[in-house]
Amino acid sequence: MSVLMAVVGKDLQLAWRNREGWLSAMAFATIAVLTYSFAFDLATGDVRPLLPGVLWTTFLFAGVFAAGQSFQDEVDDGTFDALLLSPVDPTVIFIGKLVANLIALLIIEFAQLILATILFDVGLLTPQLLGIVLIGTIGYVSLTTLLATMGGHVRGRSVLMPVLALPLLIPLLIGAVRATGASLGLEAGTGPWMLLLMVFAAWSTLAAVLLFPTAVEQ
Amino acid sequence: MTTEGGGTAVPAIDARALTRQYGGVTVVRGIDLTLPAGSKTALLGSNGAGKTTLLKMLSTLLTPTSGTFWIQGHKVPSPRVARSIGVLGHSPMLYEDFTPLENLRFFARIYEVPDAEARIEELLRRVGLWLRRHEQTAILSRGYHQRLALARALIHSPAVLIADEPETGLDPEGVALLDEMALAAPGLTVLAATHRIDHIDAWATGVVRLERGRVVEDTSSVAPLTEGATA
Repeated sequence: MSVLMAVVGKDLQLAWRNREGWLSAMAFATIAVLTYSFAFDLATGDVRPLLPGVLWTTFLFAGVFAAGQSFQDEVDDGTFDALLLSPVDPTVIFIGKLVANLIALLIIEFAQLILATILFDVGLLTPQLLGIVLIGTIGYVSLTTLLATMGGHVRGRSVLMPVLALPLLIPLLIGAVRATGASLGLEAGTGPWMLLLMVFAAWSTLAAVLLFPTAVEQ
Repeated sequence: MTTEGGGTAVPAIDARALTRQYGGVTVVRGIDLTLPAGSKTALLGSNGAGKTTLLKMLSTLLTPTSGTFWIQGHKVPSPRVARSIGVLGHSPMLYEDFTPLENLRFFARIYEVPDAEARIEELLRRVGLWLRRHEQTAILSRGYHQRLALARALIHSPAVLIADEPETGLDPEGVALLDEMALAAPGLTVLAATHRIDHIDAWATGVVRLERGRVVEDTSSVAPLTEGATA
């Protein structure tokens, strides 16, 4: 447990000190939400049907912007090799990256939910919607962290990440968008979509934890 | 091999038919290597001879395509091996956004070093970084990076040091420190790739020379046992 705390603490500390990537993602997400708010006619139309797509498109691209950055910094500095040489279980290394990426992305998403609540005049900070965002983000970050690891030593990795990630994330996006819509009262009951989202999050987290040791083997 | 006491010594590194291919190209070809505990071996060879690949395999960073090896008597892979090896590579393997103190604290925690603060202070003082322990690692010179990398490699008091051109970036004072703390340190088994032929007399007790991935000269196993040898 002490080693796990050391690795997670290290990743959080590095994410904070080397936060350019996350600040770029935050700036991108803010600009995207602002631009959508200018595009929609709030006076005459109900924007709620559009919000699930607006939010998840923004979250998705903000994550792609920055998710692989912390891993790439470690590969470039050789510290990832130092971790692999140490007695630390590769699963612990993965959890460290997962937690740091998850916290950073959740902060960005929470900020965008506040901004969108103000700009679109729709209550988005409900416990139900926050739960959907949390579960969706866990599934999303698990998968992108694993893919960032697999592409870490590959040329053209910045292209590889979105090309590989986006098709794999389609079930999560469908579940997240529909569950968000249901939580905004656009369709009856979030149950089935929440179930899809939870199954995907559980599957991607489990798959990532199991595959990570193989993915880092050289 | 027997020790003075008559027991059988466990080699620090014992490799059999190690081979590594990259995309069908064989870089290391069936290398056999036995390094007695406490021996100091210089790994020589021209660029592309396979030195770095061999060192990466022996440090467990790279999986051999075929072949087997043992570290301190433990067949690799084994969870017990990581604590026995210290690695000083081409890259210093340091967190640039951390201070020297934070770097060593992190590595001490993941290696679960007992009495870590005392060990960290001892190493930082020895490599000349105690007074700069709160500065960001990124602003340190190449030589100080290498000194800090040396401290990182030794933080858990490994029995075996695997080094790839460890003199890189060090001034004469730094090279003397490297000799004292690692290359010529009593009891520590050393396998270090180097191009500094003029310097190996200062520390090496044997030589392994590679050419095109094969061993063409090996005087490592005739190296005398030192106090670090185990019966």
